[in-house]
Amino acid sequence: MNLGIKARLAACLLLVSLSAAYGQRGSERGVRSAELEPCDLHHDRGRMAEADACYAGVLASEHAAAKAEASWMLGDFKAANDRFREAVSLDPEKPDLRVRWGYLYIESHQESEAAQLFEEALELDEDHVPAMLGMARVLASRFDGKAVELAAKALEKRSEQAEAHLLLGRMALEEGDLEAARKSLEQGLANARDLGIAPLEAYSLLASLEMLEGDPDNEWVSKALEYNPRYGQVYAEQAHFYVIIRRYRKATERLRRAVGVAPRLWRAHAELGVNLMREGLDEEGRRHLEIAYSGDPYSAKTVNTLRLLDNYHRFETHESEPVEGAKWPRAILRLDRDEADLLLPYAMDLTLRALDDFSERYGFELREPVRVEMYPNHDDFAVRTMAMPGIGLLGVTFGYVVAMDSPSGRKPGEFHWGTTLWHELAHVFTLEATDHLVPRWYSEGISMYEEWRADPRWGETVTPEYINAVRKGNLLPVADLDRGFIRPRFAGQVAISYMQAGYICRLVAERWGEGALVDLLRGFAAGRPTEANIRAVLGVAPEEFDEQFGEYMKEELGPAHDGLERWRLNLKTALEAAREKDWEAVLEPAREAQAAFPQHVGLGCSYLLLASAHEESGRRREAIEQLQEYERRGGRQPETLKKLAGWLEEAGLAEEAVYTYEGLLLNWPQDEEVHARLGELHLAADRADLARREFEAVLTLDPLDRALAEYDLARAYVTIGDSDKARLHVLRALERAPTYMPALQLLLKVKR
Amino acid sequence: MRVLSRCGRLLAFLAAMTAYGHRPASAATHFLVVEGRGGTQVYTERFRDQVERLLPALRRTAGDEALVRVVAGVEATSAQVKAALEEIARAVVPGDDLAVFLIGHGSYDGRSYKFNIPGPDFTDGQLKAWLDAVPAARQLVVSTTSSSGGALETLKSARRVVITATKNGRERNATVFGQYWVEAFSAASADTDKNESISALEAFRYAEDRVKSHYADNKRLATEHPQIQGDLAGAFLLARLGSAAALARDPERRGLLAQREELERRIADLALRKDDMPQNEYLDALQDLLLQLAGLQQRIVAGDTETK
Repeated sequence: MNLGIKARLAACLLLVSLSAAYGQRGSERGVRSAELEPCDLHHDRGRMAEADACYAGVLASEHAAAKAEASWMLGDFKAANDRFREAVSLDPEKPDLRVRWGYLYIESHQESEAAQLFEEALELDEDHVPAMLGMARVLASRFDGKAVELAAKALEKRSEQAEAHLLLGRMALEEGDLEAARKSLEQGLANARDLGIAPLEAYSLLASLEMLEGDPDNEWVSKALEYNPRYGQVYAEQAHFYVIIRRYRKATERLRRAVGVAPRLWRAHAELGVNLMREGLDEEGRRHLEIAYSGDPYSAKTVNTLRLLDNYHRFETHESEPVEGAKWPRAILRLDRDEADLLLPYAMDLTLRALDDFSERYGFELREPVRVEMYPNHDDFAVRTMAMPGIGLLGVTFGYVVAMDSPSGRKPGEFHWGTTLWHELAHVFTLEATDHLVPRWYSEGISMYEEWRADPRWGETVTPEYINAVRKGNLLPVADLDRGFIRPRFAGQVAISYMQAGYICRLVAERWGEGALVDLLRGFAAGRPTEANIRAVLGVAPEEFDEQFGEYMKEELGPAHDGLERWRLNLKTALEAAREKDWEAVLEPAREAQAAFPQHVGLGCSYLLLASAHEESGRRREAIEQLQEYERRGGRQPETLKKLAGWLEEAGLAEEAVYTYEGLLLNWPQDEEVHARLGELHLAADRADLARREFEAVLTLDPLDRALAEYDLARAYVTIGDSDKARLHVLRALERAPTYMPALQLLLKVKR
Repeated sequence: MRVLSRCGRLLAFLAAMTAYGHRPASAATHFLVVEGRGGTQVYTERFRDQVERLLPALRRTAGDEALVRVVAGVEATSAQVKAALEEIARAVVPGDDLAVFLIGHGSYDGRSYKFNIPGPDFTDGQLKAWLDAVPAARQLVVSTTSSSGGALETLKSARRVVITATKNGRERNATVFGQYWVEAFSAASADTDKNESISALEAFRYAEDRVKSHYADNKRLATEHPQIQGDLAGAFLLARLGSAAALARDPERRGLLAQREELERRIADLALRKDDMPQNEYLDALQDLLLQLAGLQQRIVAGDTETK
């Protein structure tokens, strides 16, 4: 956008006329009308009746921007929006108006629109500090690492300010860098005092800092409330940081205080509602969300969460069988009604298996039932877990509550629900055994490690991006690893940090023994920070541990550490040959690619190419070997694994086929044929009860060939020895297919 | 899409089984397969493959190769299709049936459905006129093309079953229905009543189910919703599996088959009363009928033709 001289001059004059407003709420977030100053004084001191009366008076102002601000402060966002639009059309080249309008959008939860306005302001004036900071605030809310750069740039442009220091301090707090946070916040507070800005945000952040240091009810809370007795935001801010470190119960307690002090703090009601749901307290959560909605209907978070609650009637809850002497069931599953019959036996079985295993190995007894929620609609899951930093979330654990996608929420092969559930259930233990004091990296690391430990087919597999990060030294030191999860500095850093954390736990288990993993967890429970915990439990300095980890990683990666280029070139050649169906020409480059990067089981990997080449050339045994290796290393394409199981059956390797089919159920349980084949194999091996489970699963999928499914189930009941049920199901089969000979023959056996 | 309740499906199966017993033994089914223009190599090959897989099944069912006509490639013009139907119209005798399969692409301009062929396409209106001139007892028209649902209203007739890949003319994307429709002719799992025959209704259900799974598994918005119109689909025999073909042709077994049909009809009647009966009473009555059927079925298979 070009700015003419006349327009620049007009902007300067207006700035002068409004400069008296500098020092109040909007000062560093865009210049506001001086008419608002007396009202802001009331507002900042918590004299709400006086503030409201004052702002109501400003509505009669002749300046559209002043009327916009007054409407905003009175909670009429729509009028505020209209007035800002009018003000901008009257003075389109004044960046401050767009910045102020942007902040209105932030307050009404529309960060993308806010970012657009900050961008427009920067097009008008590329050095406009409030616009830079507005943009940095939006990026920070998305946990985008660029926010730090932008805030630092704003600070370079104008060092005498509070806003950039406070924003940098906030981000440091979110990353857990308390030292850096204190430095920024103290500077921000000093500057706010010098500039005559209300110190409330500085107080809140310092209150949060000291809370993270172990003192939640510190002097800064008192100072904030002395300054403004209605300033519930000080507690809401603390709750925000508790949520970041996953201390949800503590966050709830802070949020209750926030709404107690400031009943009109709608965001705090919304947060409280969401947080109560994280603890499984849905009804109380709904009450606060409804209060939030009554005062702030613009929040997508509030609206979506209320909609989700309204949809809960579509879900069923199932409790695990009571254990003798226990006051509550160990697990409660919330499943969509349409898929509960199918998933329940598998999900409950896996959940209880995980709870037994982790209880024993981590020496921690659960104090509440574990609630697992599985959402077939990914949007519902996203609503349930929103505001969590991270990428491509599949599951989230809030303590005793686990929420995750259900297998039908994603394409076949895209999501292994069994390993995801196992991962999340490990979090239940790391979080609860430490009263949520465990750092994120360790909790994720344990979960990754537990997946690999439980089954070689589970867990994440090494990616080229991770190998490159190892080679280029882009892994974070263990003491700073949390940073990689909270605010990534480059694309893919979160995924790399997950993998690194998992390997760290594996190294600890292999070199120091699994007991060291438990000891580290206990250290975190005692409040020990990562560095001290590593020293105390492992007996090495974190730097030395990092060195050992680097060496370990090189060994673990093996040929892949230096083999990516060789892998890439050979795989390309093999893929080209496969496209031409020149199967003999596939063999050598595919073998080379496999030797260079044997961990690769992604799309078009060497195992699949070699399996196709062998199969097409009539070498079934070799094809099977390739697919078995693919499976063992974590390959997950359901169609490929189903083909492998079929080949194993044809080769007479029934038990190996069972292993593959069983694995498939935890990956893609919606396949009727897999259940039917597995049922058949179990029946043949005299495992009638398992066969029954599989044939019942077929029926839950509403098969087209229902007569066959009923007949199969009847056969299982015959083997179990339950002739009543066998008769019932064979009659159901024949009801649909009266001339079905095998069923008629079975009826002759089980008739009454 | 027409949705049947589970009970409705059950009754439809039973009705279908009893229905084709009413055809005269000498009645024949005339088949016409029209392979439309593929436009690209991929579609040309796909349509050809579907036709090639369909023909052996149809020839087996017809029992006479002359009853299966194909119009394909550059010859698949409007005039040739019309000529083929005129030839069939001359050949049919009372009681004969007609089944027409349109495999290819279709279009819809808001008024008419058109089947894409070399030269000018023919419309649903033209097809209706040609079909109306065929004095077959019953007709089946299957269009596996995009926009095929646009022809449903035009082709509607009391003696005609119409099956289309899409619910209306506005579903314009290329369809996958055809591949599953053809697959149904040899899929044991399509034979849901286990009588070793595939009816048009069973083939439709199979293809509909697979189309649904295709889009659901790929997490894609379904761009086709197969439709069936007319009540005779369960009675329209398309393919015979296993020994059904031989049994049907054996005059020695006709008496037993008639008894079996009578028992099947009684089972269907019982099913109609299911909801009004205590479950145990219903199951006992069902078991009784099925045990009679089991005895009869064993005699049919064993070739024991003595009527008892």
